[in-house]
Amino acid sequence: MFRGDLFIWASVELLWISVNVIMVGVIYSHTPTVAGWSMYQMLLLVGTSMLIQRFLMGFFWSGIFEMGRNVRTGLFDFILAQPGDPLFMASTRKLELDGLLNSLVAMGLVAYSARKLGLHPGLLDLGYYGFMVACGVMIHFSFLVMAVSLAFWITSAQGVEGSYFTLMEFSRLPKQAFSGLASVIFVWILPVVVVSNAPANEILHGFNRDWMLGLCAATIVWFALAVLVFRSGLKRYTSASS
Amino acid sequence: MTKYGQAFLAGLQSNLVYRWNFGVRSIFWFFHLAVVYILWGAAYAANPTIGGYTFAQTLTYFVVIFVLQFFIGAFNEDYQISEDIRNGLINQFLLKPIHYYGYRLSVFAAARVVSGAFGIVALLVALPIFRGYIVIPHDWTLIALSIPAMCLTAIIQFSIAYCFGLLAFWFLEIQGFVILSMAVETLLGGQIVPLDLLPPAVFNVIRFLPFFYQAYFPAAILTGRKGVDFALQGLAIQAFWAFVLVCLAEFVWRKGLKHHTAAGG
Repeated sequence: MFRGDLFIWASVELLWISVNVIMVGVIYSHTPTVAGWSMYQMLLLVGTSMLIQRFLMGFFWSGIFEMGRNVRTGLFDFILAQPGDPLFMASTRKLELDGLLNSLVAMGLVAYSARKLGLHPGLLDLGYYGFMVACGVMIHFSFLVMAVSLAFWITSAQGVEGSYFTLMEFSRLPKQAFSGLASVIFVWILPVVVVSNAPANEILHGFNRDWMLGLCAATIVWFALAVLVFRSGLKRYTSASS
Repeated sequence: MTKYGQAFLAGLQSNLVYRWNFGVRSIFWFFHLAVVYILWGAAYAANPTIGGYTFAQTLTYFVVIFVLQFFIGAFNEDYQISEDIRNGLINQFLLKPIHYYGYRLSVFAAARVVSGAFGIVALLVALPIFRGYIVIPHDWTLIALSIPAMCLTAIIQFSIAYCFGLLAFWFLEIQGFVILSMAVETLLGGQIVPLDLLPPAVFNVIRFLPFFYQAYFPAAILTGRKGVDFALQGLAIQAFWAFVLVCLAEFVWRKGLKHHTAAGG
């Protein structure tokens, strides 16, 4: 990556993190709690959500984003010609340093919020937190792969990758804010709330077996679904070569 | 029919090809609205009003902001312009008696007609669901003032996107600049939080920036968050920014052309 690009993209990500922090700041300047969460608890949740997203951006985003474009243009042939699993080869082609750099900012936000809350998580808690964040990254990855795989069916579906960002907005909200149908859809059917709430709860309240099991189950199910959808789509792919 | 009318019709046809994109976008509009409903609903649970506004007023504000984006928001015009430059398609406009800004503005208007139709459908579906939370303004003066405000907002949004697209004359990749700008526009345009919830000192600075007029201003007039005096003052500032940005667009275009090399036959 060019130095200028790295600087710009790192600034982009930093600015988006700032936008979310400012939003939390503005809301909490008018109310002491939201769904029973204080401002620093909410910032810890936002930081965790951002951390998961930055890791996804750093490790997988470019590869997956290009995958959709390459399927449309026929350049996906290049991936298929490589000696490896197509999903792995397509999604791990590029490492984005800007996303990884900003994961440090997200970690800083989590650490700052924990400090403000007077929390001192032990090594085991941090280990569980790291594992849960990794599960969250895999769930995000799976969702994104499924969204981009639509390109195998709908060739004009440019920009459906953006749907990922829309759904992941829910991951910045505390589970307690959801009720009724929204709780069923976004907490239980789609794992968008669990991915961030589970690790944030680990730091805030310590280990919870239900959160851990729920997150592991969601990771396995969503990853399996992503592989299934991707492989079904791959069968429909028509090569650009003669 | 004028050449720009023809460009509008051509834009209408090409945008209808991407109707699925707009359809998907309008579906995800509901998810945006759900996030707003859940977050602000939780914030309002312990407070009858926030910043002097009820939950219904805040939800109405966001509904209007989202719908306005379908009608007057610039989606990917910057990307299309940068692609024209990178692929050399811009060369044909240098030979024809048509101004590129006018051509692109016509295509932008056509795209907004298509996306606006999806916006109306999304709104018609949303209204019965959120009926109890929608506060419809009854001040006809404000509604009348919102029409020029929306037109000027469209020009401001398009001109900013146009200028960013033209950066492709100098840079190979402009997406970084575009998304950087989008973050600023989203925040200072009032798409994340209503700007009147910011501290008054900050609000009074932001209202002199062009971003203020990209979404917040027409939405604030339409939803009655601000009165007639504020709307009239705002319209003057907005017209100033629209003029400045159109001039800037022309300036960047001329500078860019001097930098441009057309190759091929």
